[in-house]
Parts: sequence; structure tokens; C-alpha cells
Amino acid sequence: MGVTVIGTMTYSQSLVDARALTLGAYAPAVRDTREFPANPAGLVGIRDWDFSITTYTGTEPESFGFVFHALSFGKRLYEDGALALRYAPGTEMTFVVPTTLFIGEGNIPASIDREIRYREPFALGFGHRILPSLSAGFGIRFRRDEVLDTRYTLVIRDTISYPASSPVTYASAAWLADLGFQWKAADRLNVSALARNLLSFRNGDTGDPLDAYLLSTSPAAELGLGYTPLSGLSLFASASTRGNGALSAEWLAGPELSIRGSLFMDRNDASFMQAFSAGFGWTYEFLDIDAGYLRFFNRASHTGTTPAASFDPADISNLDLNPYSRDRLALSVKVIFGRVRQSLAHIEEVKLFGGIYPSSYEMLAYQPIGKVRVKNISAKPIHAKASFFVERVMDAPTESQPAYILPDQEVEIPLTAVFNEQVKRVQTLTVREGNVFVNATPAEEYDDKQQTRVLFHGKNAWNGDVNTLRFFVTPDDPAILRYSRDVLLQYRDSLSGISGMLERFTKARVLINTFAGRLLYVSDPKQSADFVQYPSETLTTLGGDCDDMTVCFASLLSSIGVSTAFVDVLPPERPADGHIFLLFDTGVEPRYGSHVSDNPKRYVVRRNQAGVETLWLPIETTMITKGFDQAWTRGAQRYFDDVEVGLGLVKGWVRIVDVN
Amino acid sequence: MRTFLVFLLLSVACGIAAAAESIILQRADGEVSIRHGVAEVWNKVARGDLLRPNDTIRTGKGGNVVLLVQLGTALASKRITLPPHVIVDMSDIRDLTQEELMLKLTMERVRGSSYQWKNDGMAIPDAAVVHGANDAAPVPLSENDIQTGHLQLNGVRVLYENGFFASCVLRAMEVFRLYPALGASFEHRLMLAEAMEKANLRGEALAEYGSVSRLEGLTPGQQQQVQSRLQTLRK
Repeated sequence: MGVTVIGTMTYSQSLVDARALTLGAYAPAVRDTREFPANPAGLVGIRDWDFSITTYTGTEPESFGFVFHALSFGKRLYEDGALALRYAPGTEMTFVVPTTLFIGEGNIPASIDREIRYREPFALGFGHRILPSLSAGFGIRFRRDEVLDTRYTLVIRDTISYPASSPVTYASAAWLADLGFQWKAADRLNVSALARNLLSFRNGDTGDPLDAYLLSTSPAAELGLGYTPLSGLSLFASASTRGNGALSAEWLAGPELSIRGSLFMDRNDASFMQAFSAGFGWTYEFLDIDAGYLRFFNRASHTGTTPAASFDPADISNLDLNPYSRDRLALSVKVIFGRVRQSLAHIEEVKLFGGIYPSSYEMLAYQPIGKVRVKNISAKPIHAKASFFVERVMDAPTESQPAYILPDQEVEIPLTAVFNEQVKRVQTLTVREGNVFVNATPAEEYDDKQQTRVLFHGKNAWNGDVNTLRFFVTPDDPAILRYSRDVLLQYRDSLSGISGMLERFTKARVLINTFAGRLLYVSDPKQSADFVQYPSETLTTLGGDCDDMTVCFASLLSSIGVSTAFVDVLPPERPADGHIFLLFDTGVEPRYGSHVSDNPKRYVVRRNQAGVETLWLPIETTMITKGFDQAWTRGAQRYFDDVEVGLGLVKGWVRIVDVN
Repeated sequence: MRTFLVFLLLSVACGIAAAAESIILQRADGEVSIRHGVAEVWNKVARGDLLRPNDTIRTGKGGNVVLLVQLGTALASKRITLPPHVIVDMSDIRDLTQEELMLKLTMERVRGSSYQWKNDGMAIPDAAVVHGANDAAPVPLSENDIQTGHLQLNGVRVLYENGFFASCVLRAMEVFRLYPALGASFEHRLMLAEAMEKANLRGEALAEYGSVSRLEGLTPGQQQQVQSRLQTLRK
């Protein structure tokens, strides 16, 4: 049958989503149910339930107005896999071949128009993440090719015979299987690869006239690239062995707004540069609304009619976009449901700076114990907070300040930890599981979580930093308070006549002398440098090394209101001679110094916490068993040699850390 | 020859900029005593004694001491004469670098950053609790013996006259702390200001001259002397 002109009734052949329409090179950009047949591997981006619906309209006056195009459902089945189904009654192309057979002189058509109809109403896809950077997808599309024609028969009734026509439909169904991949090749580069019609099964009618109009089911390959040169800007490109491809760009104009555009190319089209599209997307939490406009460059074609001679079903590689498609405007809405959701942030790395020392656990609420490197894996800027939690020793996760992270950017967030008193009951070196969470989504528990091993030192462990030694000082310990109170009561009479200015000095002397008399031993200061006794333990054991003695006397003096400081000496040329001793504030003003000592080298003039200059006495605690005066003499000598002669304080190898 | 002389002068200068290698008591006449380290007793000295950096020399009536200070190089040595009625710490016979001097001054003003943590709410409390009022009558204390302060200030002048300006500044400030009454002495305060100026402490010198100008009982000549220095420094 000859065909002169074919009218195309394009109910739909658009890319079945406005986002896909405006990102023509869509295969590397698939991330949910929207046009998932373009690359089922992208389904791994589905959060939980994913629902999208699309409508479109032609831009010509004779268009039907907005028509229902497709409905897609997707569901994440497990952590790395998702399934989706699309029902697309609107994915249909119908070509109408006008009648060419007339009977008699009256131009009465002897046949009805022939219709060639292509539909792809169903698609199924399954995506699975093989590796963190690689996912694969398998898709099946159901396509139906139909020719609606007229069958003529000669009816003979009595003496009359006449031709009769009846409509007849020739149909062939094809099941087409695709295999796709998405690979994050580099930080800013995504690659997609697809094999179209990798498997195909056809059944139904064969022969004339259907065979002439069947669409090809031959395999084809597609390659796509996605590149993010700048934060917020993504470029896409795709090419197919069928001779078509696209270049696309997506720009995040704001946290919720995307602007998109594409150029389409097809060597089978009347002009190679086939069409362009532009549109935008608006996102708000669980809702995505996309709009897109497609316009063909060659205005002579894509008009709705095609000369019969130029019509070739082989030019139709897919029903989405082909030489017979027309300008259109599409609108899509996507909604997500369910609890499981797409993370906005991902933990790239967790790094703890070292073990936890229970003695100085209060400090960890302010000083980071580690850091977590967080990546924004969403398409919009986020505010991410990191939190850290260890069961039993923490009451609740400790949350960091929020960090602003642009898409694809990584930020290191410091981790702090507020431990409870339980941490001080850790007796020996212990390893526990710690949980690091990253939260970037309001009202959600977390976006990503990672477990890490946390090393807890025993409660007496010390990291060697004199700044943390003060946490062993416990003046409010009942045992310390009881001891100092008892001693002062014992010497109440002799202390009563002392000048107020010399009161602290005298009390300190009494307290130190009394306790020194009870001490059984003071061990080598080099021993157990990483182990410090709590003052109550020293009161019980009646012995210890220089660290133990220093914190014990600091506690005793603090318990009677005397300020103390640690002097940390670490000679650069003799680091093994590192040592700590004590300074305490006599409260005596310098002008009365001779009441403390005639030799100014025996005391140090320092400002106290109130900013008043007073005399501080250096006490070498390892000499304490020989009494206050000996410990003072040795301490003063050491201080003078190291600080005044050696300039250790100025040169940085002597540090003074105030305890209270 | 000229190059050699320049080298020699530089060596001497560098040697003086370092701490003294050794100090020998070359001559001691009259009342002279020594105190070792942090001891509180004064001992007798003998000619040829090798002094240590933590020693202190005191001269009394008719006392006169000559110290031979061996500096960093074998070629560099210096003789320092101590007149009667001075106290000098051997640790002061050295020249600090500008940076060391600035750091020492800064550390004397600021107690240090170790109180920073108190702002973090992690203060370790003083557990002392005082209940009731202390009815004991305050026992008055006498201030440090001013005579000793004079001896120390005389020692400071020795440092000044021998060019140890950094030590001079630090020691003078220390003496004024221990003997506040001496801070009213125009000539000693002026010496401190001049030492600051010579130690390149322009800001401190300006402040000290300003402070000196506010001392009570200055004569017009003294006022003019201070104002002259202030104007010179402000240029």
C-alpha cells in the first residue's frame, strides 16, 4: 500500500520526566525513579519509597493540553538495592496513514486510516550497589508495536456482492532488557555505561504489514560522563552507538533551586543539532518539582506530519526522542516516603588523636579528641553536625557545632566528648566501641554513622602533659579535706598568733612538714612517669614519685585555700632529666619578703589570680621527707638555676601551670 | 690587619652578648662577703675564688672587689669593679638578647596563659571554707630593710656602668618591688629609665620617664632633665 504522508499523533515520546528532559545526557544523572530506564543503576539513590508522576503538553495550538504521562514507584529493598516500576500510558507514538483507496466517483474512502502505534507502557528496573563507587542496574521494558489496518472481503448475498471492510490489528510485543552502570571514577567525575536491548524477546503477529513498521530491537551501547568542575555546577555528556547524544549542565542556583539545560544531537534527524531544552527544579525536603521545555532546531520537521518517503521506523531508536518528536513542555513531581532516606552527608574518615585519659576527661568537652571528615553527598549545601558517643561512659552523644559544606565538598569537624563520672572507674587500659554520627538533615537521627575503637587509659594514667596533671589535684576530696583540717586543728594554738600576711606561709609549712613526717618513701622521679596517684591514694599508700607528691601537696595546699602551680622542667639537652615540682603562693607581698627569707632567690615574685604580686615558694616534693625547709631550699635552687640562670621560662623549656 | 681588628672587635662584642663563662675574684679589699645560691648566710671570700652564676657578692665599708669575667671567647674578658656598699648577683653579669629581655618583662607582667582554662568552667576549686570572723588582732609586719635595698640599687648602678643594661632594668624593677620606698628616688628611677632607653626599650623608657616626671618634690632642673629625655624619645 502506498503511503504519501504520515501524520504523527505524538501523545508522548518525551523523556518521561521534566528533569530528564532538561538533562538530556541523563544516564550518569539518574538517582531515583525519575526516568530510571535511562540507567537503572541510578536506582540505588532511592531513599525508601519513591513516587514520581509526570505530565506534559505540546506547545502547538492543536495539542491536547496536559496529559497524564507516567507514574513511577520505587522502593529501596535493602541497604544497597532498589526496585522500581513505571507505568507510562503516555509513552506512545501513533502514526496515521491516511486512506488512499476510494470507491466510485464520490471520493468515498474505501478504507479507514492505517495507524502505526508504538507504546512502551511498562518498565521495570533494579539497581544494586556493588561497591561504594560502583552500582549496576538491570531494566526490562515492555514495548508493543501495532498496525491497525482494514481488511477487505467480498460479501456475496443472493445476487448482490459487495466489498466489506473490517478493522484488524496486527501486534507484536517485545521485552527488552538493558544493563547499566554508574561509576564514581573520581571525586568529581561520574561515568555511566549502558547496553540497550541486551536481551530481547518478541512475540505476536508477523508478516505484512507489521514487519515493515516494527521498531528495531538490535543492541546498542551508551556512554555517559558527569563532571563537577565547580561546586554547584555539573556537566553531563552522553553518546550512543545509534548516533545520538546530548550535552547538559545543571547549576545549583540556591539550596533548593536548580537550573538545567541541554543540547540534543542525532545524526538521524533532519539536522544534527537536534534540539535544546531548558528548565528548573525546586527541591524541598521530600518533594521535588521539575519543569522543562524542549524545542527542536529544525522547524521544518517535527511538525506532526512526515512525508511517506522519509518515514523510516529505523530512525526511531527510542520513543523518548526521535526525528518525529515535537516541542513540548513537561512538568514532574517527585515525592519520597518512608523513614529510610538518602543521606546528605557521608563520613569519609574518623581519626581519634589518641586514647582517653579519664583523669582529664572534663577537658575533652572543650578540646577535640579527634576529627571526622565529612562529605556533602547531596546536591545542595548542608549544615552538618558530628557527634560522638560511647556507651556507659557518656550519657548522651556530644554534638559539634554545625559545619557548612557545599556539595561534593569535604570538611573536617572536630569531635568533643562529654563523659560522665563512670569514665573515672576505668581501672586499666580498655578498648571500647565508639560511635561517630553525622547529621545534616533536620528531624532525622543521623545521615551517616561509623564505629571506631576508643582506647581508654586507666584512671591513674597520665599523658605526660603538665597541663593535664592538675586534673589529679582534688582539694575537695573528703580524705584531703579531713587530713588538712585535722592537721590545722592540731596546730591551732601555735598558728593563732601568726600575722595574717604570714598565715598561709605558716600553715603550708605545718601541713607539709606534718605529712612529710608520715611519708614512708618517695620513689625515683623517673619511675612510672605515666602513672599518677590520686592524692587520696597517696595519703593511703604514704608514698609515691614526684608527680604523685606534687599533686598530693597541691591538693593539700589548695584544700586550705593556698594557690599552687606546677613547674614543669624539660631541659632541651637533657630531656631524660624532665621534672616537675611545686610553687605555692604565700600571699606575702614582696615588701615583706624578709619575713619569709633574707635571700630573694628563695622566692619568686608572681602575680596571683587577683593580679597582686606575692611571694611564691618553690618546693621540691621529692625532698619532702627531709622536711619543708630542705624541700624549699632544693626547689628554690632548682628554680633559680633553671629559670633565672638558664632562662628556661623565656626559652620555653620551663613551664609554669597554675592549678587553681 | 684591619680585617683582623674588625674580627677581634666582633668576637669581643659577641662574647659580651653571651653569658659569662666564669667569674674570678681577682681582688677583694675591705668588707666583702659572698652568698652561695639560695643559702641565707654570708661567707667570707678569698682572692682567686671562682664564682658561680648563682652567687651573690656583697661589699661593705671599705669593700672593694675586682672581678675578672671570662666571656664566651678566650680573647674576651672584662674587669668589673665593685665599690663599697653594693650587692651584685653574678647571674646579672651577662647581656640578654633583646628578645630574652622582652620576654622576661612580658612574663613579669602577665602571669601566663595557664589561667585560660578557668574560663572553660574547669577550675579546680579551693576547698578552704572560712566560718565566722577572724577575731585575732593583726600582727603588724615590718617592711624589708631599706639598707639592703640601697646596697642592691648600688649594685644595679654597677651593672649600668658596665653596660649590662638588660640586667640593670630587670634587677632595678625587682628592687623597687621589694623596696617600694626606693621607688621615690629620682636618681634611681632616672637610672632605670636610661637603662631602658639604652636597652632599646623605647616604649618602656617613655613610660618610665613619664612616671619619673610625676614624682613628688622634683626640682626644676630634674623636671627639665626628664622632659628633655621625653622630647628626644618622642621624636
